[in-house]
Amino acid sequence: MRTREAIEALAKRRGEAIAVCALGMAANEWWGATRSEDSFYMHGAMGFAASFALGLALSLPQAAVWLINADGSLCMNLGCLLTEASQAPRNLKHFVIANGVYQTVGALPMVNEGRTDYAAIARAAGLVRARTVESLDALEQLLPGIVAEDGPSFTVLRVEPESGFLRTPPMTYEGPEMKYRFGRALERKLGIEVFGPQGY
Amino acid sequence: METAAQIHAQLSKCGVTLAASLPDDWVAPLIERIAADNRIRHVRVAREAEAVAICSGAFFGGVRAVALMGATGLLTCTGELATLNLRHQIPVFLIVSQRGSIDDHRIYQEVQGRRTIPLLQAYDFPYHVIDRSEDIGSIPDAFETCRMQKRPFVLFLTRRLVKGEGTAL
Repeated sequence: MRTREAIEALAKRRGEAIAVCALGMAANEWWGATRSEDSFYMHGAMGFAASFALGLALSLPQAAVWLINADGSLCMNLGCLLTEASQAPRNLKHFVIANGVYQTVGALPMVNEGRTDYAAIARAAGLVRARTVESLDALEQLLPGIVAEDGPSFTVLRVEPESGFLRTPPMTYEGPEMKYRFGRALERKLGIEVFGPQGY
Repeated sequence: METAAQIHAQLSKCGVTLAASLPDDWVAPLIERIAADNRIRHVRVAREAEAVAICSGAFFGGVRAVALMGATGLLTCTGELATLNLRHQIPVFLIVSQRGSIDDHRIYQEVQGRRTIPLLQAYDFPYHVIDRSEDIGSIPDAFETCRMQKRPFVLFLTRRLVKGEGTAL
C-alpha cells in the first residue's frame, strides 16, 4: 500500500472527525488529501501529536478525534500508549502510517528496522483494539468497523517507503495562523469557545 | 488551609478542569489533591512533554488546563515548549518546583537551580515565583497572563512554600 492510498482511504471515511497529524509526511499527505482546517498539523514537538490528540479528545468527549501518526513520531513517544490506555477515551482513534523510514529527511531507515510490532506494543500497554493492516484491500474492508468501534483504538497501516524525499507540499499556512484557523474551525463546528471575547 | 489546598482552590477559581502531571516530591501533595477532585480530569503521564502537549490539545477543546512537574522535568520539555507552544503561540500553564534554591541541598538539583531561569529568559517564557502562602492568591492573574501572552508560563513553587522554613539536607 502506498502512503497516499492509505491516507486517502482514511480521509474518505473520516466523517466529522477532527484530525491531529504528526509532523512531516503524515501532516503533508493529510493536507494534500483533505485541505481541511479542522485538522491540526504539527510542525514541531515530534512524537507529541499523540499527546495533543489525547488532550483534545479528553476535552471534547462529544467529538470524534483521529490521530494520524507516523512510526518515526510514535517511537519518539512510546509512552503515549500507556497514557492513552490509562485514560481510555472512547472518542480517540490512533492511526500510524508505518513505512519504516524517516521519509521526510530522505527515507533513512528507522531504529530496529523491520523488527518492531507496534500493535503488539500497544496491546501490551493496554490498548485492546490494536491491529496492523498490510494492504489497501484489507484497509478498505476493515475501516467501517474501525470507524464504528469505540476507542481507544490503534491501527498500524503498513505502507511502502517512497524513494528519497516525499515531495508532497506542506499546508499553506503555519505558526499562529495554524492556531487560529484550527481553533476557529472547532468553534464553528462544535459551538465551543476556544478564544475569549477579546480573541486570545 | 494547607498550601496544596490553597493552590488547588486558586486553580479551581481559574476554571481549570484538566491537569496533566508527573510528580517530584515537592509537587506530589498538590498532584494527589487534584487527583482526588472529580471536577478535574487528571492525566498521569510518563514524560513531562506529554503533559505539555495534552494541555495544548485541551486548549483547543476550550478547556483550561495545567501541567504539573518538577524542575528537572521542565528542562526535559523545553524543545516541545519551543516548537509547539512558542511556534504556534499556544498558552500552557505550568506549575513547577523551583529546585536547586539555596535551601535545597540536593546535589542533583544544583544545575536546575543555576540554569533554569536563564533558560526561560533565553526562550522568553514568562514566570512567576510563589514563595509565601500570601502570594498564592496571585495564581488567577498568572493564569490570565499566560493566556494573554500566548506562550508557556511557569509558576514556580519554592521550597519555603511547600516544605516550610529550614534547609533540607
